Amino acid sequence: MKEKISVLMDGEMFEDDAELFFDKLKRHPQTSQDWAMYHLIGDALRQPEHIHRDVSAAFHERLQAEPTILAPQSRAPQRMKHYALSAAASLMALALVAWMSLQIDKEPAPQLAAAQQSDNVVRPASFQSNDYQSNDYLMAHQEFSPSADVQGAASYIHSVEAK
Amino acid sequence: MISPTSKWRMYLALTCLSAFNVQADPLMSDAEWLRTMVFAAHQTNFSGVVVYQSGGRVEMSRITHVADGDGEHERMEGLEGERREVIRNNDKVRVYLGDQKVRVENRRSHRVFPSLLPEQMQALKENYLITQSEEDRVAEYHAHTVVFQPKDNLRYTRKMWAHSESGLLLKAVVLDEHGRIIEQQAFSQIKIGGKDIDRKWIKPSEDDALHLARHLEQASHSGAESVVSGWQIDAIPVGFKKLFELRRSISDKKIPVVQMVYSDGLSGISIFIEKVSQAPTKAGLSGQGAVHVYNRRVGDYLVTVVGEVPPRVVIQVADSVRYAGG
Repeated sequence: MKEKISVLMDGEMFEDDAELFFDKLKRHPQTSQDWAMYHLIGDALRQPEHIHRDVSAAFHERLQAEPTILAPQSRAPQRMKHYALSAAASLMALALVAWMSLQIDKEPAPQLAAAQQSDNVVRPASFQSNDYQSNDYLMAHQEFSPSADVQGAASYIHSVEAK
Repeated sequence: MISPTSKWRMYLALTCLSAFNVQADPLMSDAEWLRTMVFAAHQTNFSGVVVYQSGGRVEMSRITHVADGDGEHERMEGLEGERREVIRNNDKVRVYLGDQKVRVENRRSHRVFPSLLPEQMQALKENYLITQSEEDRVAEYHAHTVVFQPKDNLRYTRKMWAHSESGLLLKAVVLDEHGRIIEQQAFSQIKIGGKDIDRKWIKPSEDDALHLARHLEQASHSGAESVVSGWQIDAIPVGFKKLFELRRSISDKKIPVVQMVYSDGLSGISIFIEKVSQAPTKAGLSGQGAVHVYNRRVGDYLVTVVGEVPPRVVIQVADSVRYAGG
């Protein structure tokens, strides 16, 4: 079930399967808990300033409790391998965010710092929109920027903004 | 105007030339690291999860990159929320957002060139103090760190972690003049090389392929050409050199837009000038992480400056744009 959550959150589940899954989710409290836990990861990722340092320790315990998939089953070896990777990847990502928030703890958060600066520092509004949209100019710019060149497809994170 | 195909051949030729130093050498000169990282970004096959953080915004995306006989294919896929996906096949970009229909764009495929030009490498050394820092580990790979420290406050400091063997960028941090983190990104998990990297996304679905073909038919009349537009930028910050001045079509804008591109070897500034009848809906300064955008109306034209530079730099540039005739 955990693998399914992970697959669903990775957006790799087929629609029909997803509907079945949501039905199950409603009926099984343990699954709901797992669902909530995985979304906690997502929420934590979105709000790094609220992450406490002991979060990664708590998740380390959960990781210990996760069953280790040593050998993929012969029926669907590729998928099983992928499930295992997916769950592990989520946890590693969380550890990384914990690390990132530690980095920020050392220094005042950038947006706070900017607000405290004297008047010659301008504070930009972040790209906000009511819906998803890609910024054509950002994309057109990134074709030529050396730093975007080094970052490859990751530079699209700037030009295709989230809500 | 060089065709995308011949550009790709040029790129391949350059790639082959560089095959001698594909294996990143720890004793490589500092500026060489950037060159190696750029090559690795274009020629390495990999798939991994990148965590991006800037201020309160954190995002996870899966990034996949494949270089094969057909050229270069890359994909960024948001892992949270609604569908957010960008797929680039050489100079063709498909964008999927939420439940919106696929959008198709033509992109110039010479992304790889500007930062590799000798004069750009020279600019890099003039504007930044480049040092190699501690060895580290990122996503279970051994990484070599390189710091690009600007010699003034017109640009940001960058610290990059490159995979020691291939030179692939594994982690990057951008800092302002006070040493505060503006944005950072890192692979939390990555698989470099190997044959089992998912390639199913490369080929568009039948629907998308039709859409793509229709769009390309329209787009063949537009494209981009070098121009002398008559627009003048009086206050380009020290160290930035002009790379291009183009007239190009952008997305679904009906009238071609003038784009001027400047670079200091690492950061870029683009100035877009388009004729508009109405005031822009989003005016003024906006930004995300290291990238800032500033809009300004000049007569019947809208000037938009985009760059990975501090906010005051994009404002300074936009404020100095004027039409000098031509």
